[in-house]
Amino acid sequence: MSDFLREYLLVAIFGLMAFVLVGAFLGLASLIRPDRPSAGKIENYESGVDPIGSMWSQSQIRYYIFALLFVMFDVEAVFIFPWAVRLEAFGFFGLVEMVIFIFILALGLAYAWRKGVLRWA
Amino acid sequence: MVATLLGILAQIEQAPFVRPAIDWHAVAPELVLLAGGALVTVFDLIFMERGRKYIPTLTGLTFLAALVPVLTLWDNGIARSLFDGAYITDRYALVLKALFLLSGYVIVLMSTNYMAEGDYYDSEYYQLISASILGMLVMASSRDLIGIFVALELISIPAYLMAAWRKRDLKSNEAGLKYMLMGVFASAIMLYGMSLLYGLTGDTKLRSISSAIADQGTTPIITMAIIFVIIGFGFKVSAVPFHTWAPDTYEGAPTPLTAFLAVASKAAGFVALMNVVLYAFEFQPEIAEPFIWLLSAATMTVGNLIAIRQTNVVRLLAYSGVAQAGYMLAPLAVYEVNGIEASASAVVTYLVIYAAMNLGAFAVIMAAARRTRSGEIDSYRGMLNWAPGLTVLMTIFLFSLAGIPPFGGWFAKFEVFRVLLTGNTFSGVSLAVIAAVNSVVAAFYYLNIMKNMWFMDAPEGTDQSKLKIPSPLVAALAITLIVTLVTGTVLAGPLRNATDFLAF
Repeated sequence: MSDFLREYLLVAIFGLMAFVLVGAFLGLASLIRPDRPSAGKIENYESGVDPIGSMWSQSQIRYYIFALLFVMFDVEAVFIFPWAVRLEAFGFFGLVEMVIFIFILALGLAYAWRKGVLRWA
Repeated sequence: MVATLLGILAQIEQAPFVRPAIDWHAVAPELVLLAGGALVTVFDLIFMERGRKYIPTLTGLTFLAALVPVLTLWDNGIARSLFDGAYITDRYALVLKALFLLSGYVIVLMSTNYMAEGDYYDSEYYQLISASILGMLVMASSRDLIGIFVALELISIPAYLMAAWRKRDLKSNEAGLKYMLMGVFASAIMLYGMSLLYGLTGDTKLRSISSAIADQGTTPIITMAIIFVIIGFGFKVSAVPFHTWAPDTYEGAPTPLTAFLAVASKAAGFVALMNVVLYAFEFQPEIAEPFIWLLSAATMTVGNLIAIRQTNVVRLLAYSGVAQAGYMLAPLAVYEVNGIEASASAVVTYLVIYAAMNLGAFAVIMAAARRTRSGEIDSYRGMLNWAPGLTVLMTIFLFSLAGIPPFGGWFAKFEVFRVLLTGNTFSGVSLAVIAAVNSVVAAFYYLNIMKNMWFMDAPEGTDQSKLKIPSPLVAALAITLIVTLVTGTVLAGPLRNATDFLAF
């Protein structure tokens, strides 16, 4: 078998392990746990909120704006984490670069703030 | 496996950080534009409604300020290379940067009254235009797949938003949605091609890709990669059969933005296409050339044939723009015999002249729409009475688009034909014949608009008083008129010298 295919074999073994582990845990648990099924237990779980009404309910459009703002900070974090790990090596140059980066992103937040996006009503 | 991973991590931990040498002069245009865009945003946030009327002026000044470092770099005359050749500022890039900044300035002039008089979010509009133009500046210099992709998205995403800027108009919503869906689809196809290229060569720099695939000939995988990448850019430049979004988007979008899409955004697509084809696929003409030949022939023929039947002048210009893209593609179909410099020079010459004459035509349409409130060709009847100046200007721009001397469009077409016929190859000559036939067809519908303006009587009840044109629009008309006139006559020679890219 070539090296190339052997790499894929590793992936296959990795995937198989996932099934084996989950199967083992659930199987073991089913042997020792009490078994008392009820209607409440087979309902969908949604953050502890009772699932009421149809799936096609309307939701507040404002959530959409907040989600967008959240994405902004999320992206910021994605770049800041690896930067922080190596900050010592980057030194002052790296610090200035990151300040510029955060300034440009913060401009987006300032924009949202000033235009009243953060106000709920 | 875990050990290898930890090993790699440990290596990263120990590797010293080498600060990349940055030539600040070379990136000065981009930095000025970025700072200017941020400044406009801050200005808007501080003054809000009170500062609205200054935003267009500030944005325009930003574009002109960014033009200053472009000129000093041109004067300096050295090709500068950053990030190991991933970002290059040579004469070719500088001509294009100047083109993008100037078209951006003219579009701001055209937008000023349109945006102020309608019910629009206008400060955001100008910020988005700045962002998009910034992407174009980056595109002109990018010689790296990642740089090209980031630049393309920076150009496109603001344009998707602006196409839907007439928020309560269904046609504008359709324009934005169609443009976005088609654009994203094109990006996906292009990314697939790029991923194949990276997989083949292990590098994202165009030069490295070029040398890595140089001796690999035409294996199916290379063919696929090249075709996919070209198709992706084909959407951006609205080449047939990837043009279907263009007419609907052009018609629905606000008119200044239509001008922006038809000129600046299309030029940026061509720049990306040229960079990739001429730098990365330099040694694969047997794959790239026939495909571009087909695209070019189909684009000019289909664009012209559909344009004949249009009754709306914006849609007509949309299809004529599709046809013009066909002429611009033509030099890229013969880059092997002529050398890439000659092809690039012809395309850039065409882009510069096309930008001037097309922006001019759109400016006339916007000025006329202040009276007619419609884009139908019928509404141009009798324009000679209520706007004689506009009639003459429109005639000049249309003559130029049709390629009639002494206006700029003539020289643009001349350069294309020169490149097509130089090598005396079958593909070049046949494409030249197709282009010549198409030029005649195109003259028909350009002349049809003129017939309506000059010889037909205005319908009953039309306001016959002289039309007043606001001063920013007059400035836009003046700039485009001057460029259209000089590029066909006194500046034709200097323009050819400027686009003679020795440093390519």
